[in-house]
Amino acid sequence: MENLGAVAVLIAFCLSLYALAASVLGGWKNRLFLVASAERAVYSLWLLLSVASSVLVYSLLAGDFRMAYVAAHSNRDMPALYKFAAWWGGQEGSLLLWSWMLAGYAALVVFTNRRRHRAMMPYVTAALMAPQAFFLMLNAFVASPFKVLAVGREITSVADGNGLNPLLQYWAMAIHPPTLYLGYVGFAVPFAFAAGALITREPSDAWLHTTRRWTLVTWLFQTIGIVLGAGWAYAVLGWGGYWAWDPVENASLLPWITATAFLHSVMMQEKKGMMKVWNVSLISITFWLCIFGTFLTRSGLVSSVHAFAQSQIGGWFAGFLAVLAAGIIYLILNRLDYLKSEARLESVISRESSFLFNNLILLASCFAVLWGTLFPLISEAVTGQKISVGVPFFNRVNIPIGLFLLFLTGVGPVFAWRRTSVASLKRNFAWPLAAGLVLAVALLAAGVRHFYALVCFGLCLFVTWIIAAEFYRGARAIRARTGQNLLAAAVELTHRNTRRYGGYTVHMGIVLMFIGFAGAAFNKHATAEVAIGDSFPLGRYELKVREIRQGATANYSWDHAVVDVSSGGRALAALEPERRLYIASGQNTSEVAIRRRLNEDVYLNFAGMTQDNSKAVIQAYVFPLVSWIWIGFCVLVGGTLVCLVPSKARVGQARPVAKGTAVEYSSVED
Amino acid sequence: MIVFAAVLLALGGLLYALAVRARDLSPPEPVSPAGALREKQDAIYENLRDLQFEYRVGKLSDEDYQRSKLDLQKELTAVTAEIDGLGGAEAQPAAPQPAPPPSGLLCPKCGARFAQAMKFCGECGEPMSGGAA
Repeated sequence: MENLGAVAVLIAFCLSLYALAASVLGGWKNRLFLVASAERAVYSLWLLLSVASSVLVYSLLAGDFRMAYVAAHSNRDMPALYKFAAWWGGQEGSLLLWSWMLAGYAALVVFTNRRRHRAMMPYVTAALMAPQAFFLMLNAFVASPFKVLAVGREITSVADGNGLNPLLQYWAMAIHPPTLYLGYVGFAVPFAFAAGALITREPSDAWLHTTRRWTLVTWLFQTIGIVLGAGWAYAVLGWGGYWAWDPVENASLLPWITATAFLHSVMMQEKKGMMKVWNVSLISITFWLCIFGTFLTRSGLVSSVHAFAQSQIGGWFAGFLAVLAAGIIYLILNRLDYLKSEARLESVISRESSFLFNNLILLASCFAVLWGTLFPLISEAVTGQKISVGVPFFNRVNIPIGLFLLFLTGVGPVFAWRRTSVASLKRNFAWPLAAGLVLAVALLAAGVRHFYALVCFGLCLFVTWIIAAEFYRGARAIRARTGQNLLAAAVELTHRNTRRYGGYTVHMGIVLMFIGFAGAAFNKHATAEVAIGDSFPLGRYELKVREIRQGATANYSWDHAVVDVSSGGRALAALEPERRLYIASGQNTSEVAIRRRLNEDVYLNFAGMTQDNSKAVIQAYVFPLVSWIWIGFCVLVGGTLVCLVPSKARVGQARPVAKGTAVEYSSVED
Repeated sequence: MIVFAAVLLALGGLLYALAVRARDLSPPEPVSPAGALREKQDAIYENLRDLQFEYRVGKLSDEDYQRSKLDLQKELTAVTAEIDGLGGAEAQPAAPQPAPPPSGLLCPKCGARFAQAMKFCGECGEPMSGGAA
């Protein structure tokens, strides 16, 4: 069976090289047969990788312990979901997933554009096949998941496997990596379109619309992947948090930041033909950072909690990254004339300048995160000592940057394109600003003394007010014309310009997430050794250990503490944090227990028993407002989905006919 | 069996990629020299609509609105002239000269035309002698 998988990967590798060469040659010499053949090779390649992936998944599910990968990442008693998730639980399998996803994206791009962008499509295909060939080379020759265990020339097998890393045996972990990969891999598509447009000097901006939608979808996957990862860290790792500025977390954040910058700055190009070099650079940097993130995860260059994917393939990635960077820089420098801006900034107080600011600040944040992540390497190169900068550095730099971005989220919608007079600004800003200030002062008077938290809450109200005003004003204008009620008018408004109002909804999601982040300023923590029947206080809560239970499943043994949570004498909940010992790997994990409420979470981790087995060690936390992060995330996802719906105005709009400066509409908009 | 499947897979994949017939080729896209300019024109129209909407909901002062609108109209004129310069037939398909519009369809101030009679100009807000908007 493994031979079938290995042969499929090998042929897929050959086909990727063929598709790369045939599409470049076909595009260059205008040979339509070669172009069509390259596109078919892309479909074949995806099919072959689907076969290879199926072989691996079947082997994992069936427990074929002759295969080294199966023996290392699966075991008999693991639930089927985690056996399936073992596909991406290790180096070789996750690289195969990368290849399969990239091939899927490539096939989808080729299929959906089979009648569009014909001049640039050969180069788009080539730009997708270059990373595809690189990853398939790794799959076929460097990190094959189809190796078998052997003694001498004799194939052998083990009775049972090591099992998937217990930390990964959690439902969110079955979704988090593939979603994140869909994000990482997906950024190859906008990059490929940008490369194709640059190579062919595509005169039309149609590719930009295609790219924007792809970027939005990919950005959504990346966002979901990042937040699921945060949710996993919060609920599984048991250290009491959702984000630790771990190098691998940062690696996923970097392309997300640059993609966010692109999604804003691309509007400048679509509206005014500005910032073309910047946009192409952002797309390219985003894709480069995706590969860089994969490189960080796997090279073991910086120490990380994601140690399960480390290996010695870093050199290959470093080489590919260097080639990619050189190619991008050459292409952009060579096409500077094509990328010339068609307009200029007309006023400092304008939507354009707010986007520019937003981009600069996002890039500053990206640079700060990159600097902090790579600091151990930089310090080692300069001083000979590996020094990690740690969480305080990231917080010190990124909190003010984040708050400034939040401020811009409010400012942006108020600024008009081209110019905004001071009078308009005063009119639009006065109430939201006053509301934000009043809230901050009220919180100060109520005893909140944390500066950043005060600023954050004030800004959250400021931005919320502005977004609500945007919806209200627009809906009111529609209501005046159509007589609909305000809610129906707001829906109509959103449908007319899904991109704008979906964008505002995404901003609202961000605001809610910031409320959750600000809650971290008021976290409480206590670690206590408690005998059964005893209790200890944490904030306004009283935590009493009622009993310790023990048991076992086929996969792990467990013991959990039953802790009664009460406040002011009133019983609130019985939480049951659990400690597990996985049989196959001999590794301990914690299953924390969380009482989730909108105002605060009570979070308990059972760290085990004391040496004499008489007391339970309980780590208890109170996390105020943390639920708002997950609520904000749902709003953000909803807003992004709205952005993806085609606008009614765009769909139903009849083509206007121009005669000089006079304009004739065959249908009149409200 | 596995060897047979592997060989079949290899041959199938290669054959599908290589055996392209003339009828499998995508039809060439129609070449339109004015295509990019039309996109630009559409973008300006969209900007005009946005501007008008933002003005109507009270986000823009009169002065900002008039200046930005004038800028956009100038851009529109330039792009339209460029399209016209590329050749009337190609640039303006299916555009027979319309009869002069009755009052209420043509704004006396800014010259905007509308398919329906309007009380006020949808472009500049000037009162017009037409029916309901």
